[in-house]
Amino acid sequence: MPSTIINGVEIELDEDGFMIDPDLWNEDVARALAASEGIDELTEDHWKIINYLRDYFKQYHIAPMVRKLCKETGCSLKYIYDLFPSGPAKGACKLAGLPKPTGCV
Amino acid sequence: MPEYKGMVQPVRATPEEMRKIHIEPVPDEQKPQKALEYLDQIRKKFRSFVMAMESCTKCGQCAENCHTYLGTRDPNNIPTNRAELIRKIYKRYFTLEGRWFGKLVGAEDISLDVIEQWYSYFYQCSQCRRCAHVCPFGIDTCEVTFIGRQILHWLGITPKLHASVGAAMEKVGNHTGLPKPGIVDTLEFMSEEIMDEFGVEVEFPVDKPDSDIMYIPSSADFLLNPYTLMGAGMFFTYIGANWTIPSTVTEAGNFGLLFDQYWTQRGNVMRLLNAAQELGVKKIVWGECGHGWRAAKMYIPSLADRPVRWPITHIHDEIADLIRKNELKLDPSKNSKPVTLHDPCNYVRACGLNENMRTIIRAVTTDFREMTPHGADNFCCGGGSAILFDDPEMYQRRILLSKKKAEQVRATGVGKNGDGILCAPCSICKAQLYPMVEEHELGVEVKGLVDLVGKALVWK
Repeated sequence: MPSTIINGVEIELDEDGFMIDPDLWNEDVARALAASEGIDELTEDHWKIINYLRDYFKQYHIAPMVRKLCKETGCSLKYIYDLFPSGPAKGACKLAGLPKPTGCV
Repeated sequence: MPEYKGMVQPVRATPEEMRKIHIEPVPDEQKPQKALEYLDQIRKKFRSFVMAMESCTKCGQCAENCHTYLGTRDPNNIPTNRAELIRKIYKRYFTLEGRWFGKLVGAEDISLDVIEQWYSYFYQCSQCRRCAHVCPFGIDTCEVTFIGRQILHWLGITPKLHASVGAAMEKVGNHTGLPKPGIVDTLEFMSEEIMDEFGVEVEFPVDKPDSDIMYIPSSADFLLNPYTLMGAGMFFTYIGANWTIPSTVTEAGNFGLLFDQYWTQRGNVMRLLNAAQELGVKKIVWGECGHGWRAAKMYIPSLADRPVRWPITHIHDEIADLIRKNELKLDPSKNSKPVTLHDPCNYVRACGLNENMRTIIRAVTTDFREMTPHGADNFCCGGGSAILFDDPEMYQRRILLSKKKAEQVRATGVGKNGDGILCAPCSICKAQLYPMVEEHELGVEVKGLVDLVGKALVWK
């Protein structure tokens, strides 16, 4: 299984680069995952989305509906794709330390 | 693991993930022998499979009718050749001529390489049954893919996507891993969205006892398909139904049909029947999910462990019936963009939804254009049987597998001005087509059919 070492802590990742243990998430992990997604710098809007996803996940143990993510953060889906080229599920959720979405998504 | 000796393959579940769905992976050195044992067991049970093994004359009719072959031009993706990957083993061990003459009659010894070939090609077939539809002998090659995947599963070889869906279903009752609080939160959000956009009060009751109708949505609707969920809620409210969504089975799909018909598919059926019994419902209505509707309509009666006391219908059947009785007031001008219909393969080649989908779409849109061919002759979206793999090699393959569909959509002209609608009323089709309409630059937006109904309803 691939893994990466961040601040001396080994972070295990699955084949798609999603964290195995979301509890090990911190901002430095998000920055390292951003680099693997080809995102140079995490801006305020990146963090707004990442933090919303994390808060929602903490409460509901699932990612929100994409439409809700857009509405609550005020970001259009197109803008989310600009920020996270792999999209809300495979890009933003990955950086927020959420598990990879399964099913017909 | 995206490739094995030049063959593309989906990422596979780890041994730990296989154990979660009750399979102990077979060690590599034992795999060939075990594969033969399982094949022997299965061939004794299924005439449909033996017919595919014994009756094919290699007339080639299936080749140009398979979107996978048309997209990849890989000879192993011709349906009869794909079946040949098992047939050559069947011949070698279970026929007289194969045992005596071996390679001379196309028989081959079982080996790990053959098993890896099965994994590559049985997961490029989307089980769409277009080849079965055109076979002059009535051979259903999908049955061969079913059996190939079942044997692979017993050996411990299952795509990560399918295995994780099986585990999520067992754990929480849906494929996306939605727990009840997440279900309720999303449905409350849908109620707000309906109020904002349509000015109508719609509630989505969850686990409401003594409901008449138990609605089974696809869990993908909770993440990606808001208008399908909203449309269903608006429809049931409009007709004044006493309805509910069960939190224990918030899933129209049944991936068991696609990789494990023995345990996973059967387990999901029992879960559904338990929910219907606990909630005291009178009827089960299915949401937009192609393979799931086939699994429900065609397999529940023979898989159930008790008498099935509930009629099970599809939401399209319900809507079309009321349109024919003139009991829905609909304004088609609410959907005035050019629209074409992608027929989900399982609806039209397994469940007879062909006419009802058209009754609905003609009543709720003003500029409907059929694809050629359509209905039972339609081509698959390329994602059928959930081959929605997104690692780079398999994603590239998905683009090839949707090439035929893209040509069909383009030929209708609906996307010419960049504002067309591709109605694809199935969660797998939607998940495949959302990115594929961009890859092929089709100028269309992908929607469900219930989505369009919700928009066209005229409220008093």
